[in-house]
Amino acid sequence: MANEKVDVAIVGAGPSGILLAAKLSAAGKKVVVLEQGPPFEMKDLISSDIWARRLKWGGPTVSSEGRTPILFNFNVGWGVGGAALHHFANWPRLHPEDFRMKSLYGRGLDWPITYDDLRPYYDRIQTEVGLSGDHKAEIWRPAGAPYPMPPIKTFRHAELISEGFKKEGMHLSPAPVAINSVEYNGRPACIYDGWCGAGCPIGALANPQATYLPQAIKAGAEIRSYSYVTRVLVNGSGDRATGVEYYDRQKQRQVQTADVVVLAAFSAHNPRILFNSSTDKHPNGLANSSGLLGRYMMAHHLSATWGMFDENIENHMGTTGAQLMCQDNYTKDGRKEAFGSITWFIGTALKPSDILGFAGGHGAVFGEALHDFMKKAARGLTRFGAQGEEIPNRENRIELTNRKDEFGFPLARIVHEMDDDAMNLFHYECELGLRIMKSTRAKEAWTGTTPAFSHLLGGTIMGKTAKDSVTDSYGRTHDIANLFVAGPGLFPTEGAVNPTFSLHALTLRTADYMAAHWGSVAR
Amino acid sequence: MKGAAVSALAFTVGGAEVLLTAREARAQDVPLKVLTSDERAALEALGDTLLPGAKDAGIAHYVDQQLGVAPADCLLVLRTMDVVPPYVNFYRGGLAGLDQASLKLHGAKFAALAPDQRYAIVEQMQQKAPDGWTGPPPPFFYFITRVDAVDVYYGTVEGFERLGIPYMPHILPTRSW
Repeated sequence: MANEKVDVAIVGAGPSGILLAAKLSAAGKKVVVLEQGPPFEMKDLISSDIWARRLKWGGPTVSSEGRTPILFNFNVGWGVGGAALHHFANWPRLHPEDFRMKSLYGRGLDWPITYDDLRPYYDRIQTEVGLSGDHKAEIWRPAGAPYPMPPIKTFRHAELISEGFKKEGMHLSPAPVAINSVEYNGRPACIYDGWCGAGCPIGALANPQATYLPQAIKAGAEIRSYSYVTRVLVNGSGDRATGVEYYDRQKQRQVQTADVVVLAAFSAHNPRILFNSSTDKHPNGLANSSGLLGRYMMAHHLSATWGMFDENIENHMGTTGAQLMCQDNYTKDGRKEAFGSITWFIGTALKPSDILGFAGGHGAVFGEALHDFMKKAARGLTRFGAQGEEIPNRENRIELTNRKDEFGFPLARIVHEMDDDAMNLFHYECELGLRIMKSTRAKEAWTGTTPAFSHLLGGTIMGKTAKDSVTDSYGRTHDIANLFVAGPGLFPTEGAVNPTFSLHALTLRTADYMAAHWGSVAR
Repeated sequence: MKGAAVSALAFTVGGAEVLLTAREARAQDVPLKVLTSDERAALEALGDTLLPGAKDAGIAHYVDQQLGVAPADCLLVLRTMDVVPPYVNFYRGGLAGLDQASLKLHGAKFAALAPDQRYAIVEQMQQKAPDGWTGPPPPFFYFITRVDAVDVYYGTVEGFERLGIPYMPHILPTRSW
């Protein structure tokens, strides 16, 4: 079935897709966003770690393989809002050196743009969305406008950990977060109940439902849920996208024609769609003349350091992400153990259940001892974490498998391996983290022994030429001029910061470009 | 609102769908829809070994009810762990492995073992497969079912009250999990 042709068909209603829809609709374009999952609204964001699992991936299986598999489903979003619907809203900026890893260190890749190119978009986004922080206390922060809101509150558990960092001679600042410390743009201030990961229904946290989704709808964008996109369609000569094929909730095949197609699904899904869109003109998948489609997938490894205090540390209060931050270890080549950047996050509100809750703090404990642990944890357990960078590696990839979905399209798998640098960085974080925790008043201190993973980046990397990348700096594919990719899949390096702020800035830059150059974009 | 209301599950009783807590469903002996009686016995015994009280809190009814919904609607932690649906295969394999190992070690199924025998098998599951085990990797099965036990016992308003911490919801869950 064919639908009325639109100016822009966007695949994926996560933060990038929704932001693009808002901006392009406001610029007068007719926009349809095709979202595979359900149409979550604020009223659906139930305060429960168990219910919050509805916000995690619920679509076709993506296998996680390799020596250090990424926990895919846990990180991915499901439905309108995407992963940003359950994200913790830690929004530090990338650093200038993150954009020039190859040039500065001879490792990894360079971005085709610099921090200075992205800086104005960081500044605009933080004003539009609203960020809380203290730019002066954040001594590592690249140049940029001050945050529009003061920092969020800190609670006893974060203050106790900060004593350890100070004894180690390390500097802490308020964490820069996309959470309102005060009322901002009609959205209320945070009340610090720690349900960020279950989705924030009051709008204090900048999920798409609170920020750009209302703008997109007001400007006329259509968000079409339960629309499972399988392929990008191209013309006979293979040089122009004509639209997308998708299956609706009744499992009926549909075609949405458009002048411009934007793939803004999750980093793993954009390559899968492009691989599955192969034609005789593009036998290895669309936008893959470089052979790099699906390559350079990256994740952040996480280390957790736990401490048990013998007092009430208010550990159920605060935000799920962080109250404080440290980037003293951000310099990539400044330590003998390993190459790569580290960001420390301190002060996370804990709940009893789920894998990030009290019980996850000591996985080996069971039986009556688990009850005892839970009771102690409810008063005195806390953790802080480090988020570490990995160097982009061509062999870390997403590719198709022999298994197929219900419509006959091959499923995907992610192959991921931490290299020696990333593994050594993780061990360094564990050792330093343990030393910091032991220097606090904690009665017990311990760390995990295996890395966890968060975020998924790369797979459709941007670059300067069609030989070394899939897209240009605007996400426009080198091979097909009216086919774009948006989101963290474009990142050639990941730094050691959460990607959501950067992907917003990058997407805003793309929206500006598309609106200003519509004649050539839609040509 | 009381914790009982927020942990209600949709169960079929006498042909009609009613909302009960997992604890109430177990107390009323509501028939399971997916797991067999042997699987229920093994899961309840395992749940009580992992976290005493999980059996009466209705771990088997909670898991069984969630195995009966579409994977995209499932709220079990297994959903977030990259396991290929249908999720019943995971539980079926693990519970069978538990019984097989118990039979090989002690000549009886897991639910029939003495508490110290159960404890020893669970302790071994954390590290490697007990002799006779088949099914998913035991440390992973241990991890998942331990989360299930904690979910059903501590993951509700009642559970928070047991720990003396406020639930502080924005929106309380008022229907099934």
